[in-house]
Amino acid sequence: MTRITQDMDTATVLATLREADGYYITNTARDMSQSDYKNRILLHTDLLAAKAREAAGYFSLEITGGASVHVDILRKQVDPFLKLELLRQAMPDTMFQTLCRGVNLFGYRPYPQNVIRLTVREFAKYVDVWRTFDFMNYIPNMLAVFEEVAKAGKLNEPCICFSTGPEHTNDYYVGKVQEILDITGDDIILCIKNHGGLGTPRRIGELVDAVKQAYPEIIIHYHGHNTDGNDIGRIAEAVLNGAAIVDASDHAFTGFYGPPPILTVIQTLKDLGRTAVSIDEEAVIETSDVIRDQRPDYAQFESQIKGFQPTVQIHKLPGGAMGSSLEQASKGGFLDKMPDILHKELPEVQKDLGNYWSVTPGSQILWTTAVANVLDDDRYGNPSGDLKNLLLGKYGPFPFYKPADWIFEKVFGPDWKTIIEQEGGVEEIEDMDIEQERKTLAERLGGEPTEQQLVTFLQHPNDAVEFFKFEEKFGQSYVLPPSIFLRQGGFALGETLIFRDHLGKEHMLEIGPAQKTEEGETNVYLNVDHHQRVFVFAPEQVAGSQAAVTLSKEEIADLARAGDIRAPFAGNVSAINVKVGQEVAEGDQVVVLEAMKMQTPVACEVAGTVSAIAAKVGQSLQPGDKILKIDTGEE
Amino acid sequence: MKTKILVANRGEIAIRIIRSIQELDYDAVALYETPDKDSRHIRIANEAIWIGDGPRSDYLNIDKVIDAAFKCGAVAIHPGYGFLAENADFARACEDAGIIFIGPSSDVVDKLGNKVMARKIMAEAGIPMVPGTQNLKQGDEGLNEAIEFGKTYGYPIMLKATSGGGGRGIRRIEQEEDLAEEYPIARSEALAAFNDDSVYLEKVVVRPKHVEVQIIADKNGRTVHLGTRDCSIQRRNQKLIEIAPASHLTPEQNDEICETAVRAAKASNYFNAGTVEFLLDSDGSYYFMEINTRLQVEHTVTEMISGIDIVRTQIKLAMGKELLFTQEDIQLRGHAIELRINAEDPKNNFMPEGGKTVTVYRSPGGYGVRLDGFCYQGFTIPQVYDSLLVKLTVFGWSWNETVDRLKRCLTNYVITGPKTTIPFYLNLLSDPDFQAGDFDTSFLETHEHLLDYEEDSSEVNKLARLIAEIHHKGENTYAA
Repeated sequence: MTRITQDMDTATVLATLREADGYYITNTARDMSQSDYKNRILLHTDLLAAKAREAAGYFSLEITGGASVHVDILRKQVDPFLKLELLRQAMPDTMFQTLCRGVNLFGYRPYPQNVIRLTVREFAKYVDVWRTFDFMNYIPNMLAVFEEVAKAGKLNEPCICFSTGPEHTNDYYVGKVQEILDITGDDIILCIKNHGGLGTPRRIGELVDAVKQAYPEIIIHYHGHNTDGNDIGRIAEAVLNGAAIVDASDHAFTGFYGPPPILTVIQTLKDLGRTAVSIDEEAVIETSDVIRDQRPDYAQFESQIKGFQPTVQIHKLPGGAMGSSLEQASKGGFLDKMPDILHKELPEVQKDLGNYWSVTPGSQILWTTAVANVLDDDRYGNPSGDLKNLLLGKYGPFPFYKPADWIFEKVFGPDWKTIIEQEGGVEEIEDMDIEQERKTLAERLGGEPTEQQLVTFLQHPNDAVEFFKFEEKFGQSYVLPPSIFLRQGGFALGETLIFRDHLGKEHMLEIGPAQKTEEGETNVYLNVDHHQRVFVFAPEQVAGSQAAVTLSKEEIADLARAGDIRAPFAGNVSAINVKVGQEVAEGDQVVVLEAMKMQTPVACEVAGTVSAIAAKVGQSLQPGDKILKIDTGEE
Repeated sequence: MKTKILVANRGEIAIRIIRSIQELDYDAVALYETPDKDSRHIRIANEAIWIGDGPRSDYLNIDKVIDAAFKCGAVAIHPGYGFLAENADFARACEDAGIIFIGPSSDVVDKLGNKVMARKIMAEAGIPMVPGTQNLKQGDEGLNEAIEFGKTYGYPIMLKATSGGGGRGIRRIEQEEDLAEEYPIARSEALAAFNDDSVYLEKVVVRPKHVEVQIIADKNGRTVHLGTRDCSIQRRNQKLIEIAPASHLTPEQNDEICETAVRAAKASNYFNAGTVEFLLDSDGSYYFMEINTRLQVEHTVTEMISGIDIVRTQIKLAMGKELLFTQEDIQLRGHAIELRINAEDPKNNFMPEGGKTVTVYRSPGGYGVRLDGFCYQGFTIPQVYDSLLVKLTVFGWSWNETVDRLKRCLTNYVITGPKTTIPFYLNLLSDPDFQAGDFDTSFLETHEHLLDYEEDSSEVNKLARLIAEIHHKGENTYAA
């Protein structure tokens, strides 16, 4: 049976899929990493798996996109393009798949059209299948991506995001499919994106059937999550009703919120008389055998809470957000409030806000709002900037119904109608001056950036520059296995670390003693290829030494009224909108803080002149840390 | 009370001398200027005298040094190298003050320090000199003399201003045709620069090796040599690596140069330790350059192959003892190489790294390894003196063994804080020409790629830095 390979043109791929007697499998390694390991599965592990995954004969390997591009540079310290380049070398035949958030690309906010197009062009050099979605199922938000993918000669895989509830009918979804086909034409793969793993197997079967009834020639790719432990059932029903491709991943690493095991899918469907086309089961098994012993090194990133979460059918958090939500709850000390948040408030907020699809960035808005509602004990009293944008319709129109007036009033105040009238509507984002950005990056790098560096920079400017600096200082660290790169608690004295650098040269490091000097510096001795080296570390800054006094919320508010603006909550400074000496009026948004991927503006409470700015863009602040001061002219 | 000897120097050489003084059961008195107040030579001396804020001016101040000797009651002064070591006035001041100057007499220092005088003495003794002329006659007559000289000795030749010096007033002539044009220019330049238009000619020795001979003479004129050294590897006349014995000399050549050196010493009534320097041409001919009337930096390599403590011998001779060994007693064996480990950044034009603190200092050891340094962990390198931190001298029975040992020592070295010449030397030791002993004074100019080494920027060191940080912090904060 015909294996689909990377060198085929799109027409051949689509024809092969239509003629296949059986179904294909996409190995969604990226989604497994994101859902069950907070996106930390390293390129090192993917390279270990590459040979067996290549031999396994998948339709595609989903290995980039979603939040992974950001985490690649932020936490894995690997160039997202280099990653694809190296994997391509190791896996010449397998198509690579991405998950693209439409106008939000691989981020959380809409990008300008020219940035979207440039980004898609660069990634399309490596990515063969583009799974694109919009969390409001607002098709125009995906247009630019569709066009660029088609231009690059790659496969478009537009999604209909799936959820449950009275509005989520077959008719509605079939209508959405028509909207897509009207734009893209028939030469696509349609993805049913079940990011929460919602609905019963029967519900999914019915939906696939309804779409197939309406469009018999359509190729359906079913994507699900195993959060409730029942995705195998949904996959089976999807295939029985005509889905051509399904998602699963390697059993050695499957967890609770990501994809189910490939082998289980194959075994289940075999018994139902359906064949996994071009799959080499031995290679599927071998992949897990090869990477199994790496899993303990990732334990720190696995969910704090073990076990499947059948209550996902109530709270609908997508698999990709389960781990991070629980982590936030754990770090924020409100794990005990999770039942309230997940099972009461979150479903309520979903209904309040129009029962749209809980997926990035909409899922973060729902989650942050529900958390704020519960923790502040004041529903919608502390709206994030992104919630405001949602209500203003910046992301697109509400699919089914608008939130109730009281919510608008609570968020925007008594003049909410005027505000919606004046500021509402889908956000028109002006094109960015890319050449200017290139110059900015060149200045920050001290040299001409590559096109790929520029694209990475346009996605996440500060994080990209930090990453380029990391690369310069520490080299190509993807060569380090997780047992080194993610080591907790340091190494043992005399421990020997052996690895190959990116040029293939083998190195041996032996851990020597660490010794503290009188000045508080620490000297760490390593034998590097038998040469003794010493690395000197400055004394640790005592955490929070400058803000040793913790301020209460009231104190922070009092200071703000006196012109001393402090961080009202923990977050990163994403923008400072004023300069020293600038006049500000009461209510001006002077600073934007970002927490939990949500941006929240901080307004000044008094009018005056900015007299000092203590915070810097990119800085991480604790509640009560100084941001800026406003001289009110009163003493 | 023990007899005291004053060491009129600083840094590693002060320590080197103090060690021999103490081994002879004398007390060593150190001098220091304020910037040297943390220097180790003060700590290991039996007594130390502060002579001023300097920098350098007090170490060079004859009166202050003599005063210090009086103050502490030293009977002798060892001047080391540099500073007052070849200052005839200082030697004379010691003699006048009734203090033993550990070195030759002031007369010898004086006449050997004067190039013209030294050449004259050596010429009379039949020591081979770089062929040259007296002052050329004025006008065409002088030009004809020059043309004759070129015909006799071949090109290139050098037109030198008689009153010039320090590399100034020299014109290099590549071929006879250029002489007519260059000769008057050289004269007018000399007149303009030195108010004296006299010039003379000297043959240019192309890419010579720098070979020198260690000699020792007692007061009775008994003079021996301790073999040759090769100091060809230099940067701007600053020696970097010194080797004993000189490589690529036949035993006959070696003997001849050494015997010539002894004759040169005798011709100048030399006393105590000294070095006779020669230029060795590629055709095997050699020419007298000068006699250094002092202890050399690189004396350690000679000590390694001869087994003779030169400084101890110097002191004993100065204190009136005779040489207890003859030339026949001296057995030279094996090879020794000395490297000057400087706090310098070779990649940045060997810019001194003075002012930096040595945060970690770990030195190599083992068979055949000798260190002459004054550096320690926590030591801040004064900015006002030279950048020599430590001399690493190794001994080996064969050339290859010696090079291997030297490499091993360099890789064992850990010096953090200042940049050092260590990575540069490691690169140099791996050079095939160096390993083959194939080098002359042009070595660094013709091997510029040796400056292209990885400091701490190699891929593995970058990764090692990350691993060290993960280890230090107990987690990878870049992955947290």
